[in-house]
Amino acid sequence: MANLRDIKKRIVSVQSTRQITRTMEMVATAKIKKAQERIESARPYAFAMVEVLQNVARYVQGASHPLLEEHDARERVVVVTITSDRGLCGAFNSNILRITENLIRSEAEAGVETDVIAVGKKAIGYLRYRGIEPVASYRDIADKPTFTDARSIASSIIGRYTAGEIDAAYIVFNRFKNVAEQKPETYQLLPVERRVMETEEEQGSGVRAEYLFEPSAESVLEHLLPTYVETLVYRALMESAASEHGARRTAMKSATDNASEMITTLTRSYNRARQAAITTEIAEIVGGAAALEEA
Amino acid sequence: MARTLLCEIVTPEKIVYTNEVEMVIAPTLDGEVGILPLHAPLVTVLRPGELRVRYNDNKDVEWFAVSGGYLQVHQDKVIVLADAAEHSSRIDVDRARHAKELAEQRMTELKERPAEAREDADACQADLKWCEIQLQVAERRS
Repeated sequence: MANLRDIKKRIVSVQSTRQITRTMEMVATAKIKKAQERIESARPYAFAMVEVLQNVARYVQGASHPLLEEHDARERVVVVTITSDRGLCGAFNSNILRITENLIRSEAEAGVETDVIAVGKKAIGYLRYRGIEPVASYRDIADKPTFTDARSIASSIIGRYTAGEIDAAYIVFNRFKNVAEQKPETYQLLPVERRVMETEEEQGSGVRAEYLFEPSAESVLEHLLPTYVETLVYRALMESAASEHGARRTAMKSATDNASEMITTLTRSYNRARQAAITTEIAEIVGGAAALEEA
Repeated sequence: MARTLLCEIVTPEKIVYTNEVEMVIAPTLDGEVGILPLHAPLVTVLRPGELRVRYNDNKDVEWFAVSGGYLQVHQDKVIVLADAAEHSSRIDVDRARHAKELAEQRMTELKERPAEAREDADACQADLKWCEIQLQVAERRS
């Protein structure tokens, strides 16, 4: 049986670990809320954006725009991989990185090369370890993404797509389903899928508003599409930030629970060891006294 | 009571302003557009500039700096989709001034090697413009 002091030491060490995991759990809980609020406050813009896009698309029949055109040949694609800067958040990052690697592999089988844009220290570190050099990497933005960050990522992709250097762009990120659930997801950024521009047939009134466009529907569309891609990236960054805190909270909650369980078990064996020691001592004293009496 | 329109100014990050107003005047690519109630449905591209709304029998005016975006009018509802927008009273003048100096500095650096830094220069120019507009709008506060 382990000796008393060793058990005590382990209890203390597990206790301090639990203190840390519990704190991290609480911090994550607070941050989820903020991240969620941020997603909420971005929603009006995103909705209005899609509405405008659909309105414009109705007027530009058979709209053609570089960002809508599929390239004939598929030779090189870009994947934007969004991870966190910090660990201790369960399978959050490994899911994303696994999907990214699968994507790279399946593209490679089709003879397509893949460029990776890494967001978050975890992606940068992992990819480098796997011998994949990201074409661009961003760190310290995963926690509090700004629209400027999203714009900088999006504009490089848009530029390369328009120039014909790449033939498709994807983004891999964790979608925030609810506080306890994140779902890794792959989304096609470019070419912009035409179905986002199609409206569900308007119900009720068959009358459509006749819009005026300034300078023209085509030029509005030309401005709108890049911004649309930017909002997609921004949204993904924010969903990922909220998911990160969610994943960390879950991971830290189970770590805290495990630590508590461990402390219970350890305390039990500590008490048992203590009891055993006392029992042995009494037995020795009684034995000693009996021996004296007999003498 | 004059007829009003609902004006909403939203950016990707937040809703900047929402109010019933009587007139919206926004900077478009080739000038300005003034929108009154009962305006026909319209979608237009905005350039970086000053946007203002009037209300209370046109007595009160509020100014906003917008960094470009879109504007949609539909049934007495004006939605301004701006990349960035700030109410005149919320502009941080010191920060804008400081940012402007930084942008100017970077601009001169970039001019020395123009070939490779085309995109950077464009972005920098946009930053500079945005700072200038913010400062300009900040002066409008009474």
